[in-house]
Amino acid sequence: MGPVGSDGSNGFAGNYLDIQPLVDAAGYDLSQFPESAVNAYRLEGQGLLGLPFATFPTSIYFRRSLFDEAGLPYPPSAYGEPYIDFEGNEKEWNMETLRELATMLTVDTDGADATQDDFNPESIAQWGFVSQWNEPRGESTLFGSNILVDADGNAQLPTEFQEAMNWFYNGIWVDRFIPNAAQSGSDLLAAGNAFSSGAVAMAHTHLWYTCCIGEGSDWDIAPVPVYNGVATAKLHGDTFRIMSTTRYPAEAFEVLSYLVGEASPTLLQVYGGMPAREADQESFFAALDERFPQGVNWQVAVDGLAYSDSPNHEYPMPNYLKAKDRIGAFQTLYTGTPDLDINATMEELVADLQLIFDEVK
Amino acid sequence: MTIFNELQSATKQKNDALDTPMTRRKALWGLLFISPWIAGFLVFTIFPMIASFIFSLTNFNLTKPNDIQFIGLKNYEHLFQDPSVGISLGATLRFGAIALPLSIMLPVLLAALLNSPLLVGRRLFRTAFYLPYMVPVVSAAYIWSGVLNTETGWLNRFLVQLGISAPNWLYSVDWIYPALNIVGLWGIGNAMLITLSSMQGVPTELYEAAKVDGANAIQSFRKITLPLISPVIFYNLVLSVIGLFRYFEIPFILKEGSGDPGNSTLFYNIHLYKTAFTFQNMGYGSTLAWFLFAIAFSVTLFLFWSAKYWVYYPTGDN
Repeated sequence: MGPVGSDGSNGFAGNYLDIQPLVDAAGYDLSQFPESAVNAYRLEGQGLLGLPFATFPTSIYFRRSLFDEAGLPYPPSAYGEPYIDFEGNEKEWNMETLRELATMLTVDTDGADATQDDFNPESIAQWGFVSQWNEPRGESTLFGSNILVDADGNAQLPTEFQEAMNWFYNGIWVDRFIPNAAQSGSDLLAAGNAFSSGAVAMAHTHLWYTCCIGEGSDWDIAPVPVYNGVATAKLHGDTFRIMSTTRYPAEAFEVLSYLVGEASPTLLQVYGGMPAREADQESFFAALDERFPQGVNWQVAVDGLAYSDSPNHEYPMPNYLKAKDRIGAFQTLYTGTPDLDINATMEELVADLQLIFDEVK
Repeated sequence: MTIFNELQSATKQKNDALDTPMTRRKALWGLLFISPWIAGFLVFTIFPMIASFIFSLTNFNLTKPNDIQFIGLKNYEHLFQDPSVGISLGATLRFGAIALPLSIMLPVLLAALLNSPLLVGRRLFRTAFYLPYMVPVVSAAYIWSGVLNTETGWLNRFLVQLGISAPNWLYSVDWIYPALNIVGLWGIGNAMLITLSSMQGVPTELYEAAKVDGANAIQSFRKITLPLISPVIFYNLVLSVIGLFRYFEIPFILKEGSGDPGNSTLFYNIHLYKTAFTFQNMGYGSTLAWFLFAIAFSVTLFLFWSAKYWVYYPTGDN
């Protein structure tokens, strides 16, 4: 089955076949993949559950035309580089710089930006930033890797998560540079596919977003900003798995080997996933360049692998499907509700998660 | 010979007359022609119902399909401790408190309006009111999500033009039920049409007699129209109550099954769906389904019992 990421497979943990014996029996060469990528699919007590196939690092997608229109320089083009502002000042490319930039790029229907006194927050025509199709666990990685469950299976509220949610909540309801749920769902922002609408200057999302970015060739990608000096480019990785109940493990492994091997160049173009096999990456990006001829700085995506989140934001949790649903409800609440006590709401989230975790203890 | 014996003898003669090779052959052909429906009913209705009842007595969960165990009535015990059951039933009943009266009264009022000889262009209006019913419910939900959007929806644009502050239709606890009812009212064309046809069947001489007796239009409507169309109102009520308990598509599409705002759209069927198909808990999901069946069946039985007090059948057949 697949390709499926950690999130899609977590809910069915324990149902996948350990393919290590099949790898050994077939003499399958694992050295064609980076060792760390293979180890990502080794789970304690469960064995090797997949072979590396597609990776999707995150970047900051940005629209050159909106920066040009505002007279603002583009974000940096490589990890470690500073942001040079419109006055030529060097600034660290961090979450505060992103916030300032996004605020300047948020514009109302009369052309006033969100830094101006006459800006009308009730009539916004362009937003500075959107977290494109990310859930709170993923959004919070901009402030560092963190997880809502501790080693003993209890719910916890990490500082990174709290800071991130306050940043996002204020971005939506105070500074107004992030669209709220109603705005995101509006026709103005392509009913949820906000960055593709052309009315959002920057988006934090994965490489798979090339699937859905739509027409227009005025976009590029930039590194994920740092927080407290650390950049965290959260990573998605999809692969194929074999169900543990299979009656034909050897045959299934043969198909799996074909999918991650011979068939992978074609499939990866379809899925928009960067090949885990480094040797295939050049041809993958060459094909993407044909689709997006504006000259996208793909090296940012490749470099992002070195900053991937660990532990990954799609970490397993007890009672996973229910816990994930509760986290989704938290997101719906803070993106749709003004005047919310976001810190109290996070406390409620953690209390509810504890109850959900306890159901399966 | 007593009357009883006469009747018995007559019945026997009738049965003998029916029990001929020809009638048996006809019956076989009848069964043959109806067999696809019987097979479909067994495979797609009866067997799934039996299966779901059996599931409701197990811990069947698709995340651990091999660990299925018989757990007796534990799912039913859990049902009465599950806070989401109370929340979802409460949401369903609160919504129903607005939706049911509207879905009964509005078709009657619209039908009365469209039956009025004073209305110009009646056929056009009848078609116009019925047309939205033809739109598939999923398409309607997506259309209305655009129309009700706080920022760019037509409805709010119109209200703002009138100087009325724009409600946050889909994200406010106060406005979500009015919003859902607006969407629902779009589809009352069928109930309106059935009511209208019933109204047109009321004998005109009754109105003429009432007029001679000095009754005004409102009195005629109350004393003649309403009693004579009460079987259709009853029919609409039963369907609306069942529709209320299976209310799902519109809130699921508009709110993606989240239950927001504030669990106000966590209707019973949404809770059932999430339990069975999001959390993959088929055992408890089946229990929720059977509980829903029990509620809907009880309410329907109550409605049929109450019918003798307010539904008027001219033939006297209750």
